[in-house]
Amino acid sequence: MTSYSKNEVLIAVKDVNLSYDKQILRDINFTIHNIVRPGMNQGQVISLIGRSGIGKTQLFKILAGLIPPNTGTVLVGLEQQPVKAGQVGIVAQNYILFNHRTVYDNLRLAMKHDSITLGDKEKDALINDYAAKFDLTEHLKKYPMQLSGGQRQRASIIQQVLTGNKFILLDEPFSGLDALMIDRVMELLLQVSTLDELNTLVIVSHDVENSLAISDTAFILARQKDQEGATITETLDLIEMGFAWNPAIRENEKFQHLVAQIKHKI
Amino acid sequence: MELLKNIFSPLTQIKGRTSIILIVVEAFLALLLWEIVGQNGLIPVPSKILTSVVSIVTSAYFVDNLFSSLALTFTGMGISIVLALLVSYLSLIPVFAPVAKFIVKCRYLTLTGLIFLFTLLTQDGHQLKLSLLIFGIVPFFVTSLLAIIEAINVQEYELCKTLRMNNWQTLWEVVIIGRLDQVFEVMRQNFAIAWMMITMVEGLSMSEGGLGTMLIKSNKYIDLSTVFGILVIIFALGIFFDFLLRNLRHWLFPYTKIQVKK
Repeated sequence: MTSYSKNEVLIAVKDVNLSYDKQILRDINFTIHNIVRPGMNQGQVISLIGRSGIGKTQLFKILAGLIPPNTGTVLVGLEQQPVKAGQVGIVAQNYILFNHRTVYDNLRLAMKHDSITLGDKEKDALINDYAAKFDLTEHLKKYPMQLSGGQRQRASIIQQVLTGNKFILLDEPFSGLDALMIDRVMELLLQVSTLDELNTLVIVSHDVENSLAISDTAFILARQKDQEGATITETLDLIEMGFAWNPAIRENEKFQHLVAQIKHKI
Repeated sequence: MELLKNIFSPLTQIKGRTSIILIVVEAFLALLLWEIVGQNGLIPVPSKILTSVVSIVTSAYFVDNLFSSLALTFTGMGISIVLALLVSYLSLIPVFAPVAKFIVKCRYLTLTGLIFLFTLLTQDGHQLKLSLLIFGIVPFFVTSLLAIIEAINVQEYELCKTLRMNNWQTLWEVVIIGRLDQVFEVMRQNFAIAWMMITMVEGLSMSEGGLGTMLIKSNKYIDLSTVFGILVIIFALGIFFDFLLRNLRHWLFPYTKIQVKK
């Protein structure tokens, strides 16, 4: 097995509860550790898997600091500070970008805040560098409406990376994509996760197979019998199981068995 | 044959040259029918109206009247859009929201009942016309602008938060800059209201002239050829400005062209 270690806690979700007129989320607890592999920047890819309508989007917004839970906390970063909107990047399912700005301007906007001290030339170089890495160079002058779904998704992810966020939440990143595009998105996400040691991607999805195939850890969000509200019912350490960091894992029989089991459980 | 079948079948998209030919042919047939059937009627036929249009346009007083109407419309539109934008943007600050809501409801207030009040409040005929025009347009502008603001996807605000923008920056990016093209579209649509109202308000104070004044005077003497001639001029100018504003919008905001294409 590849040698690795799980070091500092990067994200800790403690006793999160959310209810409106009824309980949506109940006692959500999980932690995400910094996974270290010798000789490389090994980021983290985590999946939150649950079926549609279970409360994934609400948990997504809580993790991003966009809505506060009724009780509980979300702590992020090495300092484990309570999450604030802006500390965690989000890539929405419909890849929201500003339609009135070109792709270049959208990316530039991500570096406008005070904590980025780069000069104009350095910012341009960074944009060009990411655009080249993610196959967007020829689309920089286009408007988002002129891009395909895959291109919008890439632009949206780069925008969040350029903001300087180490933590990025992705809402249903495989939704509506064909098999070939799914493979490309998985490659892209792995590429983003390995850009920096602390980069942490949290995929919120109902797509069991693809989410498990790309992740090192997966949390299953489901309802327990006779209990209102969804909670984490299972944690899968895919590294320990020998399923992580293997591009061909979807063809593995044991993996397929696991996928079938999880599909049955959610 | 296929073309004939297409223009009569529902939900068929007719584009480009075919669409133009269809408009021209239908307009020509309608005018021809009017010309033939209306020979002995009270309403003047197209050929008489056309003669009247030529005579109005070439008359010495036309340019002055036209500019008077245009100046009043553009001044009214300019002030109205500034006021409406101010009210709409301020409506996002809770303390100003009731004011915006009240202005929206003012659409149901009739101008006729308020003419006396406006006469007392203004100093001369020009101010009276201008203030009535503004009072008539602003509630419609504010209604459309608030609808634009309400339709903004909440994910755009969330994106701003993830990009670490504060509330003022978000307001600027999403509501002001991000919706400027739609403001322009509202302006185009509401120009029609302003242009329609101009004839009414010009009738209240005729000293400055204007197309409305010309219309009212011709109506008084039941000079129907001139009345229809002026109506044609007002109609044609309205269409022209609509075309101009639509193209100006595409030029100023190139992405709107992409949206139209899609």
